[in-house]
Amino acid sequence: MLKLVVCIKQVPQVSELPWDPETWHLQRELAEGMMNPACRFALEAALKIRDKIGARITAVTMGPPSAEEALREAVALGADKGILLTDRKMAGADTYTTSLTLSKVIQKIIPDFDLILCGASTIDSDTAQVGPQLAEELDIPGVAYVHELTIAGNKARIRRVADGFSETIEMELPGLVTINTTSEAPRYMSFRGFQQAFGESDIITHDAASLGLHQEWIGARGSATKIRNVYSPIAERGNLVLTGTNKKILDQLFTLFDDRIGGVVGKDLKTEKN
Amino acid sequence: MFFNPTMKHKALRKAVRMFAETEIGPVARTIDREASFPWEVIKKMGPLDFFGLQTPKTFGGAEMDSISYAIVIEEISRVSAAIGLCLAVHNSLSIHPIVRWGTEEQKRQFLPDMVRGEKIGAFCMTEAGIGSDVGGVETNATLDGNDYILNGTKIFVTNGGVCGTAIVFATTDYQNPRQGAAMFIVDRETPGFIVGEKEDLCGMRANPVSSIFLENCRVPSRNMLGAPGEGVTVGMETLNVGRISIAAQALGIAQAAFEDSLSYSKDRQQFHRYLSSFQTIRNYLADMATDIDAGRLLLYRACAAQDSRNSFREEAAMAKLFCSEMARRVTDKAVQIHGGYGYSKEYGVERYFRDAKVTEIYEGTSEVQRMIISRELLARRV
Repeated sequence: MLKLVVCIKQVPQVSELPWDPETWHLQRELAEGMMNPACRFALEAALKIRDKIGARITAVTMGPPSAEEALREAVALGADKGILLTDRKMAGADTYTTSLTLSKVIQKIIPDFDLILCGASTIDSDTAQVGPQLAEELDIPGVAYVHELTIAGNKARIRRVADGFSETIEMELPGLVTINTTSEAPRYMSFRGFQQAFGESDIITHDAASLGLHQEWIGARGSATKIRNVYSPIAERGNLVLTGTNKKILDQLFTLFDDRIGGVVGKDLKTEKN
Repeated sequence: MFFNPTMKHKALRKAVRMFAETEIGPVARTIDREASFPWEVIKKMGPLDFFGLQTPKTFGGAEMDSISYAIVIEEISRVSAAIGLCLAVHNSLSIHPIVRWGTEEQKRQFLPDMVRGEKIGAFCMTEAGIGSDVGGVETNATLDGNDYILNGTKIFVTNGGVCGTAIVFATTDYQNPRQGAAMFIVDRETPGFIVGEKEDLCGMRANPVSSIFLENCRVPSRNMLGAPGEGVTVGMETLNVGRISIAAQALGIAQAAFEDSLSYSKDRQQFHRYLSSFQTIRNYLADMATDIDAGRLLLYRACAAQDSRNSFREEAAMAKLFCSEMARRVTDKAVQIHGGYGYSKEYGVERYFRDAKVTEIYEGTSEVQRMIISRELLARRV
């Protein structure tokens, strides 16, 4: 049977959180967590494949112990198994060490996977890097920003939409896709699924030691990214007041902005005017 | 004593809230204004087990604990109290008595369709002459061979217009109605079961509350719930369970009114200041939040009592009494904070204000709750 792995992330439920002034990491513990929206779409894509041709779905997350909730939610929605990677040593990981850690657990626990599905990006850090980097770590083909996905034999037929164009790609399995939030809307969990996921189901927990990960490779210590400072951009907009007759104002406008206006309307305004 | 919600209860609240805000939120105001029942939303709720929240798994239900059940009703009512009411009456007043007093045959016959939401439940107790005084029931059940023939008129039947299965309170003894009181499970398709006009009510307008006419309605005697004479007990015990769902509903309405007031006070300016900077408004908000929290604690205590032991009558009555009166107070303050806009249908608080009032009336008025609580208090030896 097809083996699918869905990587999910628990993100803060609120849109604005303060940064820790020491580490410049978001103070995620201040807000309730939820499953990252794009990860819900990735799980939905996996569930659609399972509904159609059958598959075994393993959900994986790395995070604090409370990320267990997002895994149970995945199980409630239909995943067969949840794996939680949690360890203080894994905290503060950048996208590189996150992909590395995920690749190690996948190689160890589900080495014979057929397809890995990730959300295209997360709403808290929005780098969109972990999925593609994970494909590199595992040395498998990867396609990002996937909109539609069908599996036939050992190939995935993929339509991806990015940067204003769409393309259809055939990818050999095993491979990796990152799913866009433009694909089909995720389902809701049933209460029977919920009861089973939050009652009887076991979540498998791993720490750095059980995965054989040296602490120099993971978490903040293994991360190449060092955050020096984080700040909100300051919106600086000046007001420009033009005075004079209509013609004079129009002339001033053209002098100041003709390139930009011309670019938008697709005409050379200087030539038009003359 | 343990006051923190478990991971399970927190996750449940998030999941229900997401469904309610996404699927019900966009239509909540329209279905109230047009007094229309949102079948398209209800059809989505069936497969998610909203119609079998506490029903045993063997009959296809989710078999939830009582706190989980209260959370579901609360979160749905936070967005649409009329749909919360539909679920409360279906789960607590229609499915519950079948699960508790029904025979195996009755359970197998009626529960699966109800749990899937294909047949919505209704509870037909109130008549023109009886409300709180259930012993005076006038709807008659006359034995004829293996059937009972029901005659009478039920009013204010929640879900009446859309029900598929009704629990009907009647008496087999016209001379001594209380002694002969009995409950019957009646399928809507039964000849002589006639759904009347929808009531034109102040609130809960999206719920098709209707009259039900029983005209020589022939019901097999195997559809009786419990024995003849047990009708009052079945009815009272059912309403006891129902109180938890009405308290949850009132809590959800109050929560919505509070959240709207909080954000409005941070948005609206008067005298070049935000409303939230005025001490009077801050005091209102503090009182509302405290009131809601007190109600929530009383409700979850009643739920915990229901889950852990048989008797929770006093706790459930206290929760229903407090939460419904609290919802009236909170929605009143919410309208006040919104000023003229609060009195307009353009803002949600106008609907919450209308919806809250009836929680003090149905499934036992506040006066009846006080009667129940005082009776329990006085019956104690110490």
